[in-house]
Amino acid sequence: MEILVSVLADTVLITLVLAFAAFGLAIIYGLTGVINMGHGAMLTLGAYFTWWLLDQGVPFVPTVLLSALAVGLVGLAFEHLLIRHFYGRPFDTLLLTWAFFLVTTEVIKIVFGTDFRNVADPIGGDPVNLGIYQVPTYKTVVALLALAVVAGTALVFFKTTLGVRVRAMTQNREMAGLLGLNVAAMYKLVFGFGAAMAGLAGGVIAPMFAVQPYMGDMFLVRSFFVVTIGGIGQLLAGTLFGSFAIGGLETVLALFSDQVIAQIAVFFIAVIVLRFRPQGVFSGR
Amino acid sequence: MTAEIQPARRGVFRREDVAALAVFLLLAAIPLATSGYVVYILPQYMLLGVLAMSLALLWGHGGIVSFGQAAFFAIGAYAMGLVMKHLTGMAINSAYVGILVGTVGGGVTALLIGYFLFSAGVRAAYFVVATLALSIVVEQTVKSFSDITGGWNGLYVDRMTVTLGSWLELSLFDDAPIYYVVLAVVVPVYVIATALMRGRFGKIVVGIRENEDRMTALGFNVPMYKTLVFGLSGLLAGVAGSFYATHAQFAHPVNAGVLFSTQVVIWVAIGGRHSLLGSFVGAIVVASLSNYLSSIEEIQNYWPLVMGLIFIAVIVLFRGGLAGLVEKLAGKGAHGRAAGH
Amino acid sequence: MALVITDVSAGYGGVTVLRNVSLALAEGEILGVLGRNGMGKTTLIRCLAGLIEPTTGTITLGGENITDLAPHERARRGVATVVQGRGIFPRLSVRENLTMGRVAGASARRDRTDEVLGYFPRLGERLAQAAGTLSGGEQQMLAIGRALMTDPKVMLLDEPSEGIMPVLVQQIAAIVTAINRQAGLTIIIVEQNVPMVFGMTDRCIILEKGRIVAQGSRDEVSRSEVMKEYLAI
Ligand SMILES: Nc1ncnc2c1ncn2[C@@H]1O[C@H](COP(=O)(O)OP(=O)(O)OP(=O)(O)O)[C@@H](O)[C@H]1O
Ligand SMILES: [Mg+2]
Repeated sequence: MEILVSVLADTVLITLVLAFAAFGLAIIYGLTGVINMGHGAMLTLGAYFTWWLLDQGVPFVPTVLLSALAVGLVGLAFEHLLIRHFYGRPFDTLLLTWAFFLVTTEVIKIVFGTDFRNVADPIGGDPVNLGIYQVPTYKTVVALLALAVVAGTALVFFKTTLGVRVRAMTQNREMAGLLGLNVAAMYKLVFGFGAAMAGLAGGVIAPMFAVQPYMGDMFLVRSFFVVTIGGIGQLLAGTLFGSFAIGGLETVLALFSDQVIAQIAVFFIAVIVLRFRPQGVFSGR
Repeated sequence: MTAEIQPARRGVFRREDVAALAVFLLLAAIPLATSGYVVYILPQYMLLGVLAMSLALLWGHGGIVSFGQAAFFAIGAYAMGLVMKHLTGMAINSAYVGILVGTVGGGVTALLIGYFLFSAGVRAAYFVVATLALSIVVEQTVKSFSDITGGWNGLYVDRMTVTLGSWLELSLFDDAPIYYVVLAVVVPVYVIATALMRGRFGKIVVGIRENEDRMTALGFNVPMYKTLVFGLSGLLAGVAGSFYATHAQFAHPVNAGVLFSTQVVIWVAIGGRHSLLGSFVGAIVVASLSNYLSSIEEIQNYWPLVMGLIFIAVIVLFRGGLAGLVEKLAGKGAHGRAAGH
Repeated sequence: MALVITDVSAGYGGVTVLRNVSLALAEGEILGVLGRNGMGKTTLIRCLAGLIEPTTGTITLGGENITDLAPHERARRGVATVVQGRGIFPRLSVRENLTMGRVAGASARRDRTDEVLGYFPRLGERLAQAAGTLSGGEQQMLAIGRALMTDPKVMLLDEPSEGIMPVLVQQIAAIVTAINRQAGLTIIIVEQNVPMVFGMTDRCIILEKGRIVAQGSRDEVSRSEVMKEYLAI
């Protein structure tokens, strides 16, 4: 019983944390069709900004917000300098975003060094004991935040005129332009927002992982699986479902084997699942 | 204009062949002129060149990028190491078995994965992610099964000895002998790969890159050709890995990883994805430059950054890489092929 | 003059499709554009909408030179385009499609929803339906209604009768005419359906291989050689 409750609770938490980490990718991939191989680096960058700002004495909440803003601006600059010339050429954007990863990682190494950095748990304290489950406080806060971010975006996406514009654009770019939409500016906005979300996620999860130049790598591939299993463009339900599939599977498998093998198994299963529904994967092509 | 270019295209020999001859003659001459570190290290770079060719086949001709070439390279390397370590006391030279297992292992793994993905119509973007995952899986596997693979420390691999029954036994412990053995492997690999890509098979693969739907309409089994070219690519990476292991005398998780895989992508992009020779030379040049520059303390930390920026420049400005640039300078660019993918 | 086109040529990748077209439309005028398949009608529309750049010539809207403006900038200045094939957003509801017409250009516009639903009551009954599930005729109504939602000065219609049954074609023609009268909208309508165009306007041109080969009133155009040859009425 206890085991069941704790596995369930862990799964829910991991699902939401993973959804958070994958969200920026889901936005950029789903809405602009850019396969953002730089997503992991954006997470890492967010984590480093957070580490650095905290080190300067800035309180935690403004720190993660500033980190999100900073990564969003980096994303905007990248979009403006390079990506915007290559929309509609998925292969080139893939390579360019990979180059973004390489360059960003090297810059991080030069600026922040390669040592592992630790970001203290901003809430601190012991897990709250509910008798049958020890609630890890910070992780729970992160999970709730993830829920709020996803739900907030859903609200904007489905209930506002901004959402109408974005959805219309993804369905027929040319027509959206003919109705007066500045498509280039909207792409920029979406790309910047996706980058900012990656930065926010990176900052928020920084206390849960060791901050090091390659911390985003693992999230890159997992995020891709999340997004592709969930279905491209299925921003919200898809991201949550994909995270549940990947995160839940990892949790359950880790019960029976060690972490690494569980991870490997999940990758295998993800590839197999995706093979049988690849159509979701190429809507951007 | 056409008359001028046709004979060159139709003839058996092309400009690239002359260039290839020059490159290989130069490589053959180096141990005669010098010795020491250069002669020691060049075979490793040549094998990285073969790894680069394995990707150029796939990318330049097939239009498919793989972020998992390191996986096949590592399969070759570890197969070589494990076979040489455990297959002892046999009549047959265990190094030969190792090379065979490594090569076939790389090829068959790629065939299986290629079949699995391409038969479902999986296309370029998703394929990249799947191969990226493959690289991670192989890296994690060799790291975590440390009893067998040596884990983080890597696996020690013996230098092979060339034997021919009881007539010949040639130790490859010295730099020069193994240099020529590697060269004797690299040259035929290049020649065969080039011949294949210029033949019917290569034309079909390029046709698929240019217009997949059209090739399907013409009755070609597109998934099969994609699978085959990926299999071939895995095979080449496997050969390169097995010889690399015995030359470097280790197989290491680093050579399985994502970063190494993407190094290969960079070599090929810089060397010229459409040219096997360009990728080969690109790998040698970039790898040796990287090696040299990262030994200089002031540059060390900035070099990978510069590489990243060069990579961007190549994607944005010189899509043909060095080979494309040379081709253009040689005047062929004016009526050469349109810049491809 | 609402819209003036002077000596415009355009094409695709070196192939010239539209050759030295000049036209002027007075405010509130309807111009019919006739021509066989592939004669450059859509190309003319795309050129006016800003989707392809003319190789020569200029386009002015209410005196302003809009030749170099992007499609969205033209839309914001009052050019509304109803593309061939309708171009509705299939996974948006009918209401959202109309909203998109109103908000795409961002600047505050008159809300013409009531007016549009007055013209097309059938859309009013289906506001919540996904636009992709509408019938062809309804989609055409939506496309026109959505264009109207941008509160335009000039409307470009590319073959609105394509694939629609005759009764509905008449209805659409009547509504477009009504819109033109009530709102004083300037309209260019590309059509293969000659009676439809003749029912809507007295002024037509015929495009043949990208050139204007006949223009004038219904009668003048009907009497022209091209008309007799190709557009047997
Ligand atoms: N994107 C394009 N690229 C190249 N050629 C094109 C393109 N679009 C149209 N064309 C060519 O331009 C010519 C004119 O096309 P256009 O679409 O303007 O004809 P149209 O008069 O609208 O025909 P229809 O009545 O069939 O719609 C045709 O020969 C067509 O093949
Ligand atoms: Mg047309």
